[in-house]
Amino acid sequence: MSEAPRPRVAALALAVGLVLADSSIVVLALPEIYRELDASVAAVSWVLVSFNLVMALAAVPAAHLARRLGPGRAAAIGLAVFAGASLACALSEHLSTLIAARCVQALGGAAAVTAVLELLPATVGSERRAATIWATAGATGAALGPAVGGLLTELVSWQSIFLIQVPIAIAAAVPILAVARHEAATGVLSAELRQTGRPHLLANLALALISAAIAGALFLLVLLLIEGWRLSPIGAAIVVSVMPLCALLGSRINGLVSSARARAAAGAILISGGLGGLALLPKAEVALTLPPQVMIGIGLALVLSALTETALGGRAPQAIHGGWTISARHAGVVIGILAVTPVFTHDIAQQRHDAIDAGTAVVLDSQVSPLLKIDLAQKIGDRLDEEKGKVPTIGPAFEPLPDDPGERDEVVQLREELQDQLNRGATHAFSPSFGIAALIGLLSLIPIAFARRVEL
Amino acid sequence: MSAGRRGEILVGSAIVAAVVLVGAYLAAGGASYTPEKTQNPCKHRAWTNPEGLQEIAQQFTLSALDGAACQLGVSRETLARALATPEEREHFTERYDITDAQLAKAVRAGLLRAVDDAEEAGALSPVLAEPLRETLRSIPLDRAIELINNAESLLDNAQGILGPAQELLEGFLP
Repeated sequence: MSEAPRPRVAALALAVGLVLADSSIVVLALPEIYRELDASVAAVSWVLVSFNLVMALAAVPAAHLARRLGPGRAAAIGLAVFAGASLACALSEHLSTLIAARCVQALGGAAAVTAVLELLPATVGSERRAATIWATAGATGAALGPAVGGLLTELVSWQSIFLIQVPIAIAAAVPILAVARHEAATGVLSAELRQTGRPHLLANLALALISAAIAGALFLLVLLLIEGWRLSPIGAAIVVSVMPLCALLGSRINGLVSSARARAAAGAILISGGLGGLALLPKAEVALTLPPQVMIGIGLALVLSALTETALGGRAPQAIHGGWTISARHAGVVIGILAVTPVFTHDIAQQRHDAIDAGTAVVLDSQVSPLLKIDLAQKIGDRLDEEKGKVPTIGPAFEPLPDDPGERDEVVQLREELQDQLNRGATHAFSPSFGIAALIGLLSLIPIAFARRVEL
Repeated sequence: MSAGRRGEILVGSAIVAAVVLVGAYLAAGGASYTPEKTQNPCKHRAWTNPEGLQEIAQQFTLSALDGAACQLGVSRETLARALATPEEREHFTERYDITDAQLAKAVRAGLLRAVDDAEEAGALSPVLAEPLRETLRSIPLDRAIELINNAESLLDNAQGILGPAQELLEGFLP
């Protein structure tokens, strides 16, 4: 490792982190994109799904291409395509062009990520260390994605999420170009031509399941914070940044425990436990999301690293088997999003209806004066109209507060009771989906446990 | 410490952390949330000692909403919101497949129930209640629709619903 060129290792890790961050980076920007491009909620979700779907489908073919072209050239070309498609995403004025550009972005990303895995062992001098760096960079990127996307959306615009990726992709490609030039000059393709068997089915299956659970965690938590609790994108970004920070902590534990099986099992349990906690939030308070996020973040680093090492360990070519892990992970993300979205969409609509009914009942049955009561009911109706489809912030309906101190106290209490009803309803609406994600996470323990006797 | 032992400790710690978190959230009421249920509008709700015409008018409105909601098979809260704006009303009639005539008929039934409740609460003399009922029964269908359609908001609707009743009450009350 002492001889490993640090800029090149950093560039390779950056490339992996950048591409895999894209699987989740637009989550916090979706409401903004939805409004600006005048799309339906279902259609705009394809900005997220399309990238992950194409990554899942293209990863293995891209890995074969990387071997044919040479990993240096494949990584450089992949990053160039990724940068160009990112620019196209930023310039898109229609949802269809944005989704098309996202697909191209995924194609370039798949080529870059799988080729990097072929380059890393030669750069760091160890396949295991290469797999660890690759997996950690990917996990950190995926976990950082929503927070970075939220910050950029709020501070600049959703387009800036894609614009900023252009120079980063180019910066990552520069050190790799030297390898590409060397390959072109020498005609050397991949140094490793040995083939050692099929993909590790159980590790890849566990990766798919755990990725589905993690996608649920990120996707649902962001939606809960923004759509349920009405946090701003930047507020939500700060809250969900706990996960990547804890993922970094979890990556330290990786070095302390050598057993991949133990790390994978512990990670899956932590993620499932964290998701279980999110499913059972007692109150609509941000602080209560922190302990589950800590567990999910640490678990994420443990399980992704362990399963990736297992899937790649002793197998060659690394790019092909890395392609299978990328394919499994992104297929899991797609499955996770598609599995929880209908459940949560139905539940939040029902809970919103129930909570609004309960809230209206609170107003109608309150002790405030009749005319004020009717005025409040009208304003609450107006708020619902203004924020159709969302859980409303009910405060403005109670402004201005009455001058009479007694009536003012009554109205303030009424406002808090009503908002509490709405917040608890919104929180509860996410519970079944978090519960499903937790169960998917627990399911990953089956292939992990079974692989103990066979392959791990 | 052996590698195997470290692995066991890691897995054991993960299990403990997961059980503690889920247990703590369960103990704090994480699984106990149920939205407050709205009451059955067909169930009688006693008036709460109304004093003055304004409070009588409010109780009258609520009783009328209960009666109309009962007739339509929806909650009082749903109907109250449906009457807030013309758009909400249209959405409501489409969603529940209700014609304007059915809505007007239901509102008329609600007004009659409100008279019954007012009489029972002692807010309206039995001597005066019957003529009031007769008046409301004879309100033509288009008048009942007008009571709803002329409203721009729930306030206007409420005033619209109360308007004639209020006038009638003012005429009949001492």
